[in-house]
Amino acid sequence: MAEHTIKAFDDEIDRLRGLIAEMGGRAEAAIENAMLALQRHDKVLAAEVVADDRRIDAIEAEVEKLVVEVIALRAPMANDLRDVIAALKIVSVVERIGDYAKNIAKRVPLVATNSRTVEPISLLPSMGQVAGEMVHDVLNAYAARDADLALAVVERDTVVDDFYNSVFRTLVTYMVENPKTISECAHLLFIAKNIERIGDHATNVAEMVYYAATGKTLPERERGPDIQMED
Amino acid sequence: MTDEQKSLAPANPKMTARDVKVFYGPKQAIKGVSIDVDMDNVTAFIGPSGCGKSTFLRTLNRMNDTVASARVEGTITLDGEDIYAPSMDVVQLRARVGMVFQKPNPFPKSIYENIAYGPRIHGLAASKADMDVIVEKSLRRAGLWEEVKDRLQDSGTALSGGQQQRLCIGRAIAVEPEVILMDEPCSALDPIATAKIEELIHELRGRYAIVIVTHNMQQAARVSQRTAFFHLGELVEYGVTSDIFTNPKAERTKDYITGRYG
Amino acid sequence: MTGPAIILLLAGLGAIAWVSARARAMRLQTAARATGRRDAVHSLPGYHGWYVALWTLIPAGIFLAVWANIAPGLVTQSVLADPAAQALPADGFARSAILGEARAIASGLQAGAFNPASQALVEPYRTAISEYGIAGAALALILAFAGGAYAFTRIRPDFRARTRVERLVMMALLLASLLAIVTTLGIVASLLWESFRFFSMVNPIDFLFGFKWSPQSAAMGYGNDDAFGAIPLFWGTIFIGAIIAMIVAIPLGLMSAVYLTQYASPAVRKWMKPLLEVLAGVPTVVYGYFAALTVAPALRDFAVAIGIQGASSESALAAGLVMGVMIIPFVSSMADDSIAAVPQSMRDGSLAMGATTSETIKRVLVPAALPGVVGGVLLAVSRAIGETMIVVMAAGLAANLTLNPFASVTTVTTQIVQLLTGDQEFDSAKTLAAFALGLVLFVVTLLLNIVALRVVKKYREAYE
Repeated sequence: MAEHTIKAFDDEIDRLRGLIAEMGGRAEAAIENAMLALQRHDKVLAAEVVADDRRIDAIEAEVEKLVVEVIALRAPMANDLRDVIAALKIVSVVERIGDYAKNIAKRVPLVATNSRTVEPISLLPSMGQVAGEMVHDVLNAYAARDADLALAVVERDTVVDDFYNSVFRTLVTYMVENPKTISECAHLLFIAKNIERIGDHATNVAEMVYYAATGKTLPERERGPDIQMED
Repeated sequence: MTDEQKSLAPANPKMTARDVKVFYGPKQAIKGVSIDVDMDNVTAFIGPSGCGKSTFLRTLNRMNDTVASARVEGTITLDGEDIYAPSMDVVQLRARVGMVFQKPNPFPKSIYENIAYGPRIHGLAASKADMDVIVEKSLRRAGLWEEVKDRLQDSGTALSGGQQQRLCIGRAIAVEPEVILMDEPCSALDPIATAKIEELIHELRGRYAIVIVTHNMQQAARVSQRTAFFHLGELVEYGVTSDIFTNPKAERTKDYITGRYG
Repeated sequence: MTGPAIILLLAGLGAIAWVSARARAMRLQTAARATGRRDAVHSLPGYHGWYVALWTLIPAGIFLAVWANIAPGLVTQSVLADPAAQALPADGFARSAILGEARAIASGLQAGAFNPASQALVEPYRTAISEYGIAGAALALILAFAGGAYAFTRIRPDFRARTRVERLVMMALLLASLLAIVTTLGIVASLLWESFRFFSMVNPIDFLFGFKWSPQSAAMGYGNDDAFGAIPLFWGTIFIGAIIAMIVAIPLGLMSAVYLTQYASPAVRKWMKPLLEVLAGVPTVVYGYFAALTVAPALRDFAVAIGIQGASSESALAAGLVMGVMIIPFVSSMADDSIAAVPQSMRDGSLAMGATTSETIKRVLVPAALPGVVGGVLLAVSRAIGETMIVVMAAGLAANLTLNPFASVTTVTTQIVQLLTGDQEFDSAKTLAAFALGLVLFVVTLLLNIVALRVVKKYREAYE
């Protein structure tokens, strides 16, 4: 894309994109680390994930400030305007993604005792990996203004939803059979729900990226029937 | 969005231009422009300097006739009537298609006489009382009445820039035009005076078909419902203003409105 | 040493001063620049050159100018001190004749003496002239050297030579403009002085408001009191210059200006405007004999043919018509300027209202340009009433107070010419009347010009 006549405008847009890339990278790492901590039952790593979330929040605040400045001072138009508005919305979503990762990490100590006995936990890492990849891809799509990649992310959301449904059924069955593990399983259920929400948010980001890149809004998706109420 | 796109071609356009070309001597300034101007919307022409937007505007009331070397091809109609037809009386045409210029250009006469100028030429007032009515109505519509009603005999040139421009709009309104062409009406005004003119344009919308040429994209975005982007004598894109400014189709439009031009 | 030689010598000195000062400044500045301080160097070397050259030339030049005026006096004194001068007659007239002859012989203007007394003085004169010449040259050279040396010692890298040279240039320009003003003042003063002498012989009231003008009779000794009533002259001037000429010039000039600015294509305008201005370049004397030899007889024949009484071959109409034609380019170009100065946007504004070109001209352009046009017309009037040649040749001499354009009238300028040509005594009322008339003309023209310029200026401001 050609440069703006006013070079400082380009610098600001670049900075905005750089911040979002950094934020996305951190969110991605937080998801990965939270899942790793869960698998390895690594309380230290979990604590690190919780601590690192502060940086994500800080970046969100910085992007918001920058966006307001750009709108006030540069009066962006057309794709610039869409880019900037998308950035504003994306950061608040990515911040939520970071919060979910933090939430997962916080639950790591609570599922400590009998985790090996809890079979369904084996599904969670793969689920987490898919969600993490969605976050990764959608941020790449934003960086490259790639509408097709964003669409691919949207489509992958069903994978996460399917994972969630099967985790849910497994856990419910498990709890019925082993009432003692109910408390732990409840935590695992929440973790699964968190990952599922991460997938949803990645999808939201993908929609924004699509809008920013093309100027069109995505038609409403057909969602699979939820088997339970949202939390 | 798509339904808005459809509404772009109005059922009954006030003015239509089809394949209009303008030449200044051997140089072609407008290269085949087709556009509909409709009654209920303000149409803005934007584009870089020298893109032909002002030239095209001036074909709409045949102000290009005053330039000896100018030649216009193609058809332009007003209510379906070809304005370049030999039977068209330029004096009548300009009474129906009024114009406001870049720099406020009140005549060096009193405020009253500035407004009365057009009606006198066209014989619209039978008596002094008629003329008083026309003057007051025009000044009210131009949003200037309250400011000048006690000094109608003062010179029009003694007003502030913004007031002068509203006086010029009032002067154009006084002959009851159907279309008002505005050629960068705010380029010589400060932001407050500009805002007043923009508000006035909002109020006049619907009563007159308004076409405004502006260098200021924000202004086009603020006052118009239709925006046409001109570049190098071509009409690059014409569409609903909110589309043009959020999601232009043509690359050249996008580069221009996002500040990537040249 | 002779004048041209000393001047050449001084010029040479000046040139040397310029070159050497410039070289010295350049050398010093190169050294100063090496110190690296930005303010170490002030003026370009050329300015230093000029500074020293001017110091060399100006004091010496001023001295020479003064010397040239006082040296002859000094020479005469030294000659008178010579023993040979003892023989001179005491009578002033004879004495100065002898001295003058001796001087002429000494300076080579005259070959031999008629008067032997002067022959004796030639030699003292010759020595005195050469002595004072050498003294003057020497003094000038000393001054040149002193001035140059003083300035030369002041050359320093940061010396503000530029400021001083610029100041001097400014003063030279001021002097040039003062010269014009002083000349004008001198003319006014002489006019005033001579007029004052005239008014001490003739009552100003009688002059300004009297109806009978016959200076000839006053000269012949019939008394001054009722011979210098200038009203018929004023009337003649106004009749020809401000009425008949303007009736011709204003409409034609205005219409041609409107045509040229509004209707003419650029090509036509390019040809017509210079052609029109050629009219302004025709010498007035040519207009004069055209008026006197062609127009006036034709008019008289015409007047006789339609039976007008008192038709003269030197009619007001002939002079006025031709003067009007002469003034056309003047009015036209002023009107052209003022119409062209009305912004194009105003014309567009009117046309966009649906006005036709002629409506636009009538209702917008001409009213807007009116102050400028009025100013132009006033200037034209002041020019017309001061015009001399045409009226001298075509208007006649009879001071008639008449409304008949075919009759002969006379004007102020004609009468001035009349009063001052031929052998005159310069202290008679008849001659001095010319100055009084000149003064009146001067005052009227000055007022017209002031008013006109003010009107034009005010109008210009309106469209800035």
